Amino acid sequence: MFESCVEIRSHFSDYLDGLCPPEVVRSIRFHLTFCEPCHEELETWEALQADLRALPRRRVPPELALRLRVELSQRLHRNVLMRLWVHVENALRPLLLPASGGVLAAVTCFFLFMGATVTRTSGAPDVPLQLVTPPRVDQLAPMDFNTGEKPVVLVTRISAHGRAMGYRVLSGQNSPELIQRLDRMIYFSIFQPATMFGRPTDGQVVLSLRRITVRG
Amino acid sequence: MGIALERTLPAISEEAAFVAELQRGSEEAFAYLLATQQGPVFNLVSHIVTDEADAPDVLQDVFIKVFKGIRQFHGESSLKTWIYRIAVHEASNHRRSWLRRRAREAFSMDDAEAEPRFLAAEAQAGPESPYQVLEQAERQQIVKRALAGLAQPYRTVVVLREIEGLAYDEIAQVLGVAEGTVKSRLLRGRELLRRKLASCLGRTHV
Repeated sequence: MFESCVEIRSHFSDYLDGLCPPEVVRSIRFHLTFCEPCHEELETWEALQADLRALPRRRVPPELALRLRVELSQRLHRNVLMRLWVHVENALRPLLLPASGGVLAAVTCFFLFMGATVTRTSGAPDVPLQLVTPPRVDQLAPMDFNTGEKPVVLVTRISAHGRAMGYRVLSGQNSPELIQRLDRMIYFSIFQPATMFGRPTDGQVVLSLRRITVRG
Repeated sequence: MGIALERTLPAISEEAAFVAELQRGSEEAFAYLLATQQGPVFNLVSHIVTDEADAPDVLQDVFIKVFKGIRQFHGESSLKTWIYRIAVHEASNHRRSWLRRRAREAFSMDDAEAEPRFLAAEAQAGPESPYQVLEQAERQQIVKRALAGLAQPYRTVVVLREIEGLAYDEIAQVLGVAEGTVKSRLLRGRELLRRKLASCLGRTHV
């Protein structure tokens, strides 16, 4: 492929870098098998490359590396606020570890101390506290009347003292005789007043009354 | 001695997020960037500037430019390539100003520091004999000087390829030239260097 040694030697640089096409590589290798001067010259190229790659690398002196970091850091914090923040951070940073350790130790001691001193006052479960309770019937006076098949449904207003203040018949019989008997029954019944946050208050209770007498 | 780095920049998929952090001014991101890139950049500028003692100042200028210009970085190239481009530019400017101040010294194989290096080689001799260590140190010194004696376009390409291990396309991006130009400069640079070293060390040793 190559006509002269001069021509083949012009490819040595690319050959060293492995950038020659395969056919050129083949030609060079073939030429080198019989041309001693070219072979020797290629060896000098390879030795040169090895010498260059073996040159010691200069290391950055530590003081220069530090100077560079300081220089860049100062340029980064040219802003007055940033500089102030850096000063505050630098002042607080030494305290950070002791302060964190102190807080952690205090919290640990607190829980250890509290866990050892607090005694349980009751083993029983707490009674659920209802904030609002409806009025309840404590004791209903005896019914001396029959209601028939349909029950009599009443809405009764109960005072904070547990006294019935009035009632209204929602359904069922509504005869004057029944009303008279209902008045008496309600009057003699005992109620628990409604409560709100533990204090008695007025409320309403719905009563459904039904009495059937069977003659035997 | 290898070109592999202990820590590298994030992968391309993560680079956008990393660049966003840098653009937000995250101190941690800049610290990471410094930790990963200051070594390679320092090595690169050391080979490009004429006087190695100037490398620290150039390194500082490079990272200040990176800091100032990170908001203008839109990801057209990788972050590493972009930083290398700034580094090559800064080092070349520095070299030009240095050359204006002082006449370029002639390439010489005379080494006034040979005696101290011999003593140092004796002191740190490992499995190799002090003479072998000294010989290697001498050889590296000669290669380094020969490299420093190359014209800047060739030297930069050779350093980026052989010492920093960049691919041709990356070198083209760093230098802002075509890949063909990179190829021809590399060929020419290697050839000049090889001839220079052949005359110094003898053909069989190069």
